[in-house]
Amino acid sequence: MLPEIVEAFREVQLPLLAVLLLLGAASKTTGQAAGSGLAVLVPERLRRPATVGTGLLEVALAVGLLALTGLPGDAVRLLTAVVFAASVVVLVLARRRDPEAGCGCFGGLSRAPIGWRTLTRAGLLSAAALATPGLEPAGWQVALAPTALHGWVLGAELLLLAALSPELREVAARTLHREPCELREVPMRRTVRRLRRSDVWRTNENVMIKAEPDDVWRHGCWRFLRYDGMRHGRRVDVVYAVRIGGRRRTGVRAVLVDRGSGAVVASFGAVTGLELVGPPRRLPRPRQAARRDAERHDAARAAETLRAAREHPARMMPDHSRDADTGQPV
Amino acid sequence: MSVMTDSGRDRRRFTAAVLGPETALEPTPVGDRVVRGVVVGATTHMLCLATPRGEERFLYDRATVFWRGGEVRPDDLRDGDDAVVLCSQDGRLVAERVWAQAARATGVIVGREGETLEIDPGHGRPRTTVVLPYRTSGRIAVRHPRLEPGYVFDAVGVWREGAVWAARPATTQPPYPLSATPPRPPTPRHSTTLSGIATWYDPAWGRSSHLDPRARVDGVAYPALDPVGHDADCDRRTSCVPLPLLSAGATPNLRNDCTRDTAVLPVVDCAAADSWLCDLCPACGGQGAGRIASLTMTAFVALGGLLEDGCFNATMTVHNGEG
Repeated sequence: MLPEIVEAFREVQLPLLAVLLLLGAASKTTGQAAGSGLAVLVPERLRRPATVGTGLLEVALAVGLLALTGLPGDAVRLLTAVVFAASVVVLVLARRRDPEAGCGCFGGLSRAPIGWRTLTRAGLLSAAALATPGLEPAGWQVALAPTALHGWVLGAELLLLAALSPELREVAARTLHREPCELREVPMRRTVRRLRRSDVWRTNENVMIKAEPDDVWRHGCWRFLRYDGMRHGRRVDVVYAVRIGGRRRTGVRAVLVDRGSGAVVASFGAVTGLELVGPPRRLPRPRQAARRDAERHDAARAAETLRAAREHPARMMPDHSRDADTGQPV
Repeated sequence: MSVMTDSGRDRRRFTAAVLGPETALEPTPVGDRVVRGVVVGATTHMLCLATPRGEERFLYDRATVFWRGGEVRPDDLRDGDDAVVLCSQDGRLVAERVWAQAARATGVIVGREGETLEIDPGHGRPRTTVVLPYRTSGRIAVRHPRLEPGYVFDAVGVWREGAVWAARPATTQPPYPLSATPPRPPTPRHSTTLSGIATWYDPAWGRSSHLDPRARVDGVAYPALDPVGHDADCDRRTSCVPLPLLSAGATPNLRNDCTRDTAVLPVVDCAAADSWLCDLCPACGGQGAGRIASLTMTAFVALGGLLEDGCFNATMTVHNGEG
């Protein structure tokens, strides 16, 4: 059993290392990696080229691990081990130069200061790469024909790597804590899309005479768009306020402002802050409702009202003929 | 560079119509006590200024302070100097403080030649030449140890021959170049009241302040302008105070924490360079770090700031209309 496990462990390293290298290369293209890892050790003007060069090397190694076999394959696998071992040295030097610097292994995600976990991870990956020379299949062949044993070994190794990766905490923080809407930069395109999908926009579509806004401005969570409009023959400014984030249905408000007098002639979409009296949560049972109606019904008053109405059809209904609570005629 | 326009007034009116009047307050007139103009005559008893209103004269008090790169005597002011006068409480007759040729250079160093620096203030403003005279270079170097391209610079000085002669530093330079500024940590929550420091800038560049209407604008340049709807490119970075994004025309309420003067001032410009710095103001021992607004010269003086200090601790309130 043990030799099979060792063999599966060696085979799994090829696709795993390739994927990690590709992820590292992709995250280095975001441009937030400058000032971490290798970039700490080189002069200012060489930082960007150093980051790009590292990324390209990672892509080349990943392709080699996946595609090559035989002697060239072994060369690439050894080179991968050497690169990871060199990265341990670079990280130690970078930490000595700037204790606050991140490792930059996964671009902007690796901002946490270089610690023992990062160093251990690089060392383990170097050892993993060192286990691969001499394997028969190429990386893609292992990836296409996985066995259950491969899955177990891969799972255990991923757990170990996750425990050694400070980047996961950064990913969790980014996904769980969104920036407050006041500070969030939102492209105009998204604001316009939200506006055009709203009821408020559809209601006022006929009022506007231009498709493009005359003025756009921002106030914290709200972005404002002012359009030129014409309502009942008078020029108006149609001002939309579109919420950044928040609930989509209540996210758009609008006012129509008369251009001559400056008065607000209509307003749409505003949600009142007052507590409104809602309908009763549950209707009364039929028998209970009938009893309540019977209590309210005053036969003598109803007969009098009917007689009065027949005698004087045009007369205003006297006040006492209305129900005091609801204002409805009884 | 923009000044207060009709567009700003309209934006305020419409914002108030949608979100409620407290979100877009009417700016307070602050400039009653502050006069800016060009010196046409200065004696030991009286100062004559050419201002947009015509010629105005100011008497001195025993406590009147004159500044021209340092404290000077009244007859050291020269004809043609750009002067800012803070009048005493009683009226526009007696000067309490007079600043002549006050200038400020805030930005990133783009070149150095001997004792001359070239500063890029960002967002399309023209580059400024700064001279570090021997008298003050030691003082500047204490708080700006790296006078090399790429590092941030902020100093107050005087205009002389089209250049700013630095007199005193207005910040402590960060130890890394601007491009290597570490990313700010994300802000989990937002509050409508923010503490930090307020600085000043000169929208008229010290030139013909008696004619240029920009010299008299009372407003603020804001470090967190929304990029949409702002024509000139405002190369701001994430400020270290969680500032809400606003546009020109918004009216934050500002309070000087040292003197407790309060005013509502309109946003008139972008203050990109202020988002690059995350400094404290030593003027009255405040704790809030990070720049929240850059006031125009006259508004800064009207709110109780001293131009030579370069900053005061401030609290800013922006209502968002959401309770």
